[in-house]
Amino acid sequence: MTVMPFAMGLACVLLAFVPFGRIFGSALTPAFPLMAIYYWAVVKPEMFPPVAVLAVGLMFDLLSGGAIGLWALVYVVTYAVVISQRMLLVNAPFSAFWIGFLATAVFAGFLAWVIVSVIHGIFVPPSSVVRHMAVTVAVFPIFAMLFGRIQTRVLQGG
Amino acid sequence: MDPNRSTLPFREFSHRISLVFMLTLAAALLLLGRAETYVFDRARQVVTDLAAPLLEIASRPVAATRHIIERTDEYAYVFDENERLRAENARLLAWKEEAQKLQAKLARYEALLNVQIDPAINYASGRVVSDSGGPFVDTVLVNVGAEKGAKSGQAVVDTDGLIGRIVSTGPKASRVLLLTDLNSRVPVVIEPAHYKAVLAGDNTNWPKLEYLASQSAISPGDRVVTSGDGGLIPPGLPVGLVIQTSSGELRVQTFSDRGRLDFVRVLQYEFPSKVKRQDPPEVLGGPVEGEAAEADAAAPPVSAAQAARE
Repeated sequence: MTVMPFAMGLACVLLAFVPFGRIFGSALTPAFPLMAIYYWAVVKPEMFPPVAVLAVGLMFDLLSGGAIGLWALVYVVTYAVVISQRMLLVNAPFSAFWIGFLATAVFAGFLAWVIVSVIHGIFVPPSSVVRHMAVTVAVFPIFAMLFGRIQTRVLQGG
Repeated sequence: MDPNRSTLPFREFSHRISLVFMLTLAAALLLLGRAETYVFDRARQVVTDLAAPLLEIASRPVAATRHIIERTDEYAYVFDENERLRAENARLLAWKEEAQKLQAKLARYEALLNVQIDPAINYASGRVVSDSGGPFVDTVLVNVGAEKGAKSGQAVVDTDGLIGRIVSTGPKASRVLLLTDLNSRVPVVIEPAHYKAVLAGDNTNWPKLEYLASQSAISPGDRVVTSGDGGLIPPGLPVGLVIQTSSGELRVQTFSDRGRLDFVRVLQYEFPSKVKRQDPPEVLGGPVEGEAAEADAAAPPVSAAQAARE
């Protein structure tokens, strides 16, 4: 395991809190950590072990001020599901990789929504999580490309 | 097939085991975190304080970009805007005169009625350095911490009105719970008829009005301000306007724009429970003859009112 993907995961957590929304006047930033987790779960899971996923999720929870363990659990479960479906995605063309991410985002968003609704005992309006995940899926290709660059550099370095 | 499966069976196996372990750990954390134990709160503060300077640096280019875009917009509309501001200025000058008259009148009435005037509120200014980051929480970090006097419960305002209140503080940064968050409850008053309600966030852009008396006649466009009930948030801070959703429900459109939060003020308000009685000024002290008798007569109700406040 190299620390690079994990460091990228942590950087993604920080990035998720940078108020980019202020530029456009909307508040939601994409789920950057989910992109990193999905990318490395498919491409090289050995480089992003479950403990790293948990750490990234927990860091997000600590910074976000929401329920502790919410995103840690969502990310670890999502990671497990992606790993189980990895064979479908590992050598697939980019479009399939992207569609796989769409399914992953839908799954993660739905799971998080269910957990939050159970915690609060009410049906939390789902519009914000839908928007959040839509933005995430839309900007995924840019980050997948970026991660790809980093990945090849790490491999070359190794 | 996966090449790793044949070459690295042990690694695959340990990966699985660790995955199951992490799943259990995450679920346990979610349950433990509900207990809101001291350890998690402490960890949260430490992480927040460490991340705040990094986020502040990262938010600078964002603010600069926003500034450039705003400037470009302003240049495009500079003549229209100028015209509009002239008209508004003329209107406001008339209002200013009116306000000055009312202020003088009010000061006289307050002096006559011996009203306890709210002490001036100190504040600390800061910047919003982070976004909420998640779809289920509406909190932001501001770079005003305990070192600058921020405390849990203090109201946070921007130039437009109330944005929320502080829920936790570290030495350098504090977390602000915005009005739209699921956990936000703020006592408000709906003007002009002075109906009281609680403004409750529900993770949408428009918070709800709860505990509103059934016969209260409020209509879209009414102004909502803080009521000061509970003594946490000073009374009279502008909050927003009543709007009607497509389903006929009455909600509140906040004056502050959630997407454009930048510079904010943390109000260091203390509920005036221990304020000394203010005597009316000399000029309004009433007739000179028989003053002692009148003072005696006036004393009991004042002290009773003060006792009720305390």
